[in-house]
Amino acid sequence: MAEADPYLDARLGDFVDLLAARTPAPAGGSAAAVVVAMAAGLAEMAGRFSDGHWEGARGAVAQARVLRERAAPLARADAEAYEAALAAMRGQSVQPAGASDRELGEALGRAAQVPLEIAAIGSDVALLAAELAERGNPNLRGDAAAAAVLAEAGARAAANLVEINLSATAGDERVARARSLADAAASAARRSLAPAP
Amino acid sequence: MRDELSLGSLADAEVVARCRTGDQAAWCELVERFSRYVHAIATQAYRLSREDAEDVFQDVFARTYEQLDTLRDDAAIRPWIGQLTRRLCIDRLRRGSREAAAPEELEALEAEDVIALLDDALSVHGALATLSGDCREILDRFFCRDESYLAIGEALGIPAGTIASRISRCLGKLRDAYEGRRRRPGASRE
Repeated sequence: MAEADPYLDARLGDFVDLLAARTPAPAGGSAAAVVVAMAAGLAEMAGRFSDGHWEGARGAVAQARVLRERAAPLARADAEAYEAALAAMRGQSVQPAGASDRELGEALGRAAQVPLEIAAIGSDVALLAAELAERGNPNLRGDAAAAAVLAEAGARAAANLVEINLSATAGDERVARARSLADAAASAARRSLAPAP
Repeated sequence: MRDELSLGSLADAEVVARCRTGDQAAWCELVERFSRYVHAIATQAYRLSREDAEDVFQDVFARTYEQLDTLRDDAAIRPWIGQLTRRLCIDRLRRGSREAAAPEELEALEAEDVIALLDDALSVHGALATLSGDCREILDRFFCRDESYLAIGEALGIPAGTIASRISRCLGKLRDAYEGRRRRPGASRE
């Protein structure tokens, strides 16, 4: 039996209340993961209605589903990684400088890894949704475009968190990677919004 | 190496026929082909301990070797091995070497569901082997290694914007191969 997930098992209204609460988590990374998962869900729906319009529709549904299943659990994973980083920051003031700096760096590195995954999945969802907007059922074009734009937002928000978490580590290649992913998502979202030919 | 490759591409019935002539390489291929299947039935469907699963594994292939001549349909080797494994797992549970539930308590339907999933997985694996190297690689990178379109595009030197369509095409080919195999269950790697 799958382990309970406090965010995925919550009612949507309760999850939004959790985001609004004056607590460190869930916050931007969790919201980005949920937005990307929702975008993947929209792409999946657009794919299901595109059978008979595009021969790749069934394959698009399979991909969207995998992406949704990858994105959703990252809401919780991000909150946990962020809380661990905060705990490391609090511990920094009571430990010898060398040890606590290393621990803090490692905790921030882990906290950056989850939003990097969110950015990668968001980029994939945006690219897939753009394909669906262009080649899928024209009646679902608006939903496919919504998926691409939401996925881009999630990818961009997550990429920004990667940058913030790694700001103390000069030259970390994950920052450039996250930007590339967000840029690819943005380009796909623009494609999805272009007028139908 | 060439012989191993050609054996790997043979249908189950041909491998069985070669085994019957005493071809040692064919026997190794048969064991390799079904070893994960047998092990998965024992550990996942019947939840045997590692030791018991190992005993069942040895027993299944020993009996397969001995009884190969009695097989009525060489193409049906997979369901035959599956049935033999089921029977030996239940025997093992009845002998009480397992500390947990008795066979009566075992959810028979659940075990059958797991075996059906394993059968599907084996069919998909066999169907995958019939695809081109490009298709196998792109499906493996996306579905098994969780790589992003951007990473796949960089690794294979193709634009990220075309990856989703390529995966869809390869999935279509995989579906065709899989459905073809389900209609001909004995043909595992033709």
